[in-house]
Amino acid sequence: MSPEGGLTWTVYDADNMTQAEIYGFVLSELGKTNPKIVGLSADLAKSTKIGKFGEKFPDRFFNFGIAEQNMFGVAAGLAKAGLLPFVSTFSVFASMRAVEFLRTDICYQNLNVKVIATHGGTSFGSAGTTHHSIEDLSIIRAIPNIQLIVPADSVETALAVQACLEVQGPVYIRIGRGFEPRVYQTDQYGFKIGKAVEMKPGTDLTIIACGAVVYHAVEAANILEREDGISARVLNMHTIKPIDTEAIMKAVTETRRIITFEDHNYIGGLGSAVGEIIAESGKGCAFTRVGLPDQYTPHGYPEDLMHYYKIDTDGIIEKVRELLGKEFEKEENWEDEY
Amino acid sequence: MTENEKEILVSKIILHAVLPVIKVLLEDHPTFRKRFENIKGTVQFIAKNGDENIGAYVKFDNLNFETAPEILEKPDITFKFSSLKKMNDFFTGKLVLPKIKGWKNFSLLWRIFSVLLALKLLMPDAKPKNTLEKKLKVKLTLYMVSTALSQLNKAGDPDMVKWTSQQPERIYQWSVDNEDIACWLKVKAGQTKSGRGMYTLRKPFIHMRFPNIDSALPVLTNSVETVQAMAQGLVIIEGSPEYAGKLGDFMLKIADLLT
Repeated sequence: MSPEGGLTWTVYDADNMTQAEIYGFVLSELGKTNPKIVGLSADLAKSTKIGKFGEKFPDRFFNFGIAEQNMFGVAAGLAKAGLLPFVSTFSVFASMRAVEFLRTDICYQNLNVKVIATHGGTSFGSAGTTHHSIEDLSIIRAIPNIQLIVPADSVETALAVQACLEVQGPVYIRIGRGFEPRVYQTDQYGFKIGKAVEMKPGTDLTIIACGAVVYHAVEAANILEREDGISARVLNMHTIKPIDTEAIMKAVTETRRIITFEDHNYIGGLGSAVGEIIAESGKGCAFTRVGLPDQYTPHGYPEDLMHYYKIDTDGIIEKVRELLGKEFEKEENWEDEY
Repeated sequence: MTENEKEILVSKIILHAVLPVIKVLLEDHPTFRKRFENIKGTVQFIAKNGDENIGAYVKFDNLNFETAPEILEKPDITFKFSSLKKMNDFFTGKLVLPKIKGWKNFSLLWRIFSVLLALKLLMPDAKPKNTLEKKLKVKLTLYMVSTALSQLNKAGDPDMVKWTSQQPERIYQWSVDNEDIACWLKVKAGQTKSGRGMYTLRKPFIHMRFPNIDSALPVLTNSVETVQAMAQGLVIIEGSPEYAGKLGDFMLKIADLLT
């Protein structure tokens, strides 16, 4: 990956970049010290990288074949038996094909099952519309008991996987396919579930993003500062549920303009979660949600799709400029006050 | 900018930004509070500029104070100047004798003279004698400057207009820690508005904070360079240093226009 964030990378960078690679590695490390951890896959061990765990702990790894519903049901049973199941599959399957089992078997009983949903959003690119997971945040957010995390990069994925062990109950971690640009150079930035990370201070508006879009939000904010003199605060809202109300309200009162970006249908995900907080607060704030429109996605490379939906650096810059033209409070009287 | 355009600009700053700070004198200075108790009356300042008259009035009503850049039909006292330049010179401390109508209101007349003399505190070379005057100088200066900046934009100063027109909605805040001194300037796409107090609807884009009165005085009288002042902790600037620097340039421009 070039430091400028272009699309040039080599296979030698992959291990350093890929969220799934890091997840597989971290889970294997955690498996050494926590014998209760078990890995479950539905014939996607290689794609979701849980296979790394399986290679190290073959007797604690179970492949169910193409039977996601069965896998989630078994995960519930393993958790009831005192084990700590990590279930890995594509996010379209975790959030839709198996959702009733996730809801009724796992979440209803508040069982300690961790779901690692890979290939979130449009990151599956050329695999096509059926494999673009553009509804999962909305679906999972509405299920009681479960916590929902969307890490920004591989470093944050590692921290999220470790942190979810502290949560007594189901957690859904949505990651990408791989090749997501790296946002953090260190893991010492105070990651905490439910607490947004301020990536960049600013006062003109706040950009709130999650997942792979965070990288582009930071890039866009830097360009907006340099080219337009715009002071944009960037929040990495890695936890969608429970959401960081305090950070959102601070942004409302301090910047009065908020724009959200997500690789997800603009209905029901990050933007909706942020919008609910703003609306319930009763505070005035110019607000825009940017995500995928409420329609099915075309095929394409992830980078092209992100550009198409204006959730890459260029798109974020364009949308921010639009938002800055909006009123957050209509000033009718420009007479000086004495 | 022609000489006349410059005089119009200066007069706007005086009438819109200097006269309003009389309110602070009446509120904060015990002598003036006492002096204007139960006093009622209107004083007009008016100057010829070609065929038109430019002016403003101040109105006292038992410690309630009002001013507006308008010409009243029957003020109690009128200060009339033959040109804008003479009115501007009068307010910036130069020796100018206006025509005064309304001598019979001597009680109000000597009081308004005392107020105008007190406004000399705004001049950079005016040395405050005591703690009260120091605080007043800082407060009067900040309140005057924040309004003057807005007026500079409203009057169409090309540099200021260029600067404000390129900005989204932003707040420039000034305050002195642990004192009731705070004012702000709101900028939005070429429009400006000044106000008193802390702006609470959003975080300021630039916040120029003075730790105390003594630290504010040398900065506001331009007796210390801004960078030096920051290094010495006389002023704390929160926000973009580039924009703070530009704001400082405009504050200096106001000072130049009024001296």
